[in-house]
Amino acid sequence: MSVKRDDPALETPSPAAVAPATPYDEMLTPDGRVRPHYAALDARLSTLSPDELAERQRTQERFFLLQGITFTVYGAESSTERIIPTDILPRIIAAAEWARIEAGLTQRLRALNMFLADIYSEQQILMDGVVPRELVLNAPSYRREMQNLYVPHKAYANVCGSDLIRQENGEFAVLEDNLRVPSGVSYMLANREASRRVFPGTFRASGVRSIDRYPDLLLTTLKSMAADWRPNPQVVVLTPGVYNSAYYEHAYLARLMGVPLVEGRDLVVHDNMVYMRTTTGLRRIDVIYRRVDDDFIDPLTFRRDSSLGAAGLFNAYRAGNVVICNAPGTGVADDKAVYAYVPEIIKYYLGEDAILPNIETYLCREKSQLSHVLANLDKLVVKAVGASGGYGMLVGPHSTKAQQAEFAEALRADPENYIAQPTIQLSTAPCLIDHAVEARHVDLRPFILSGEKIVVTPGALTRVALKKGSLVVNSSQGGGSKDTWVLSDGKGDRT
Amino acid sequence: MMLARVADSLYWIGRYVERAEHMCRLSDVMLSATLDRSEAASQVARIALSAVGDPDVAKAKTPYDAALALALDKDDDGSIISSISRARENARQVRDQITTETWERLNLIYLRMTDPDAGKSFAEGSQLFLHDTIADLHLFKGAGDATMSHGEGWSFLLLGVYLERAQLIGSLLEVVFGEGRRRRPVGDHFALTSVLRMGCALEPYLRVYTAEMQPRYILQFLLLDEDFPRSIRFCTQEIESHLSAIIRHAGMAGSVGPDRLAGRLRARLQYADLDEIEVQGASAFLKNVLDECAAIHRSLYDAFVAYSLEDRLPA
Repeated sequence: MSVKRDDPALETPSPAAVAPATPYDEMLTPDGRVRPHYAALDARLSTLSPDELAERQRTQERFFLLQGITFTVYGAESSTERIIPTDILPRIIAAAEWARIEAGLTQRLRALNMFLADIYSEQQILMDGVVPRELVLNAPSYRREMQNLYVPHKAYANVCGSDLIRQENGEFAVLEDNLRVPSGVSYMLANREASRRVFPGTFRASGVRSIDRYPDLLLTTLKSMAADWRPNPQVVVLTPGVYNSAYYEHAYLARLMGVPLVEGRDLVVHDNMVYMRTTTGLRRIDVIYRRVDDDFIDPLTFRRDSSLGAAGLFNAYRAGNVVICNAPGTGVADDKAVYAYVPEIIKYYLGEDAILPNIETYLCREKSQLSHVLANLDKLVVKAVGASGGYGMLVGPHSTKAQQAEFAEALRADPENYIAQPTIQLSTAPCLIDHAVEARHVDLRPFILSGEKIVVTPGALTRVALKKGSLVVNSSQGGGSKDTWVLSDGKGDRT
Repeated sequence: MMLARVADSLYWIGRYVERAEHMCRLSDVMLSATLDRSEAASQVARIALSAVGDPDVAKAKTPYDAALALALDKDDDGSIISSISRARENARQVRDQITTETWERLNLIYLRMTDPDAGKSFAEGSQLFLHDTIADLHLFKGAGDATMSHGEGWSFLLLGVYLERAQLIGSLLEVVFGEGRRRRPVGDHFALTSVLRMGCALEPYLRVYTAEMQPRYILQFLLLDEDFPRSIRFCTQEIESHLSAIIRHAGMAGSVGPDRLAGRLRARLQYADLDEIEVQGASAFLKNVLDECAAIHRSLYDAFVAYSLEDRLPA
């Protein structure tokens, strides 16, 4: 079956908007030929009828449903469970491209960890004026409590999920860093499990790099954070509970690492030690991989009304008797305003140029940049600094005059809270939409672990904007996901 | 060593799964019996409804509606769908503790029962629907048995199964053999075989006592048989052995409470004499057994789940 090209011109709502550049197509070159690393998949697709493809799609959805990879939609009377939309066609990345991504992500996380270690101790970078002092210290995600607290290996962000996009020129750029409690890795692993079943032959022939070791590497990373004098550190995963939308992932990771999945109510802090209530009494905990936001981990230190964490947890952490991963306060390094300074941060600590570029970012806090943003609201993407998940966002070319006016007002009232970026045409990849293969916009979220050392898993979650022409890939806004195949260069580098 | 909350959830998975299976069987026997329009048939329906704890025996006149409500009424705490939903909710909370094979079985039953078309499937073949649910619950237990580690968690799950089973069979026997409350003794051959069916005991009974249906033998079989997995005595043997396994895993020395109660109850049933029970009255004996089961449940909580923190803090 033929692959339809998405015509972006059709999606442009108003003639006033500048016709956007053509998005990069992951599978096809501009003159319509299949890129070499997609050849095997293309060949397989040409042998499958639309009905066979749809049948495979149903098989995959059933697999997700049976596994309980669902999120709960709470309705007025009853709540139902739905699967996160998943697409059976893998997104494929060539070996050389991945090498560059891997190097870029490693460099970036090294620099960001150094940045966090610095601003939570000497604050040299602020004194040298590389990043504005008030930008960091006034950020809501900056945690005064973390000042001068010892963090092993200076690894603040142990699990990082960065959002990359491929620009029109084919170059990958970082759109956002996620250093708080990034999620999605279970979808990476579940999509892989599914796609191995759906395209076994193509999978084998392509030489896809394995991501199976992720849970093992995560456990190694977490254990490396424990104090040296605790030879057999007890690691746990802390979840807000079964009603959290990412609960499946928390249970999944605990199961695959073979460590207990605890909730706040299982924890007891006594004498600055953290214990869990077991059937045989209390048992000491050394490392907590927490999937609870900073605000909720300890009602004595952070939000008082929280029951998701444990009272006294933070003091135990300060005393060095337990390690919290990721460290509280890492959010200041993925703040949307601090983001604009990351290339300088990399240069400052490592003396290197950023391997993966940033997206050009206008800080509305700067007067000159604000006026530029206000004059170009119909072309830019405006984001609230504190918001995530695709909320509080204006996509200029897809917005109405009324929405633009609304944002203009908000920008003038509170410029510090907004940044703007040019509208990037995310690259497109083939997806199965209603029995037909069509191009949809995608991004890329690889996962980087940092403890004693930094490891990038050779795979990623590819998020898909399933709505035709949409650039928003967040699952809360109609996004789906698909497997990502990173090809080996044939030299046996299967980690 | 496992989290107290996890042990609690596994225990309740066992209880809810067993309860769902028993309710399916009672409904199935009731629907099957009431295909006949005999007096014995309506007696069977009344027994089934009393055994599920529904005091409104007038419903025995509309057995299909009663069975439908028992199967799929979400608002009724005692319905099969409620038990399955709770078992599955508990399983979700300890998803990291049960194998994928085991989880899939339970999730499948849940998805079928909560499907918008479940009512239609029930209408099209209610006995088939119940039969399939029972078969799937067996698959769930089998998958657990074959794939989960038979350690502490497994023992908690089975403790839930056997305690629940002992109490369910006990309640059924109370309804059938209890005196008073102006109940006529069950003597009809058809009604007696139906009672055995409710305990999934007909075929094993025939092997021991042949086709001779005697209320006394039935009581002996469901209460005191050593080998039949649904006799109360068998349940208490299992409860005792899983409790001692848990205590062994926990490295707790000596008697911790629940095992003493379980051992005493097992011994009472092991050395019981049916003639003495009949002299004393089956009601009183059964009531005592059920009270002991409830006491084991409470004592289990005190020892492993809801213990006082002060006793357990490091000095």
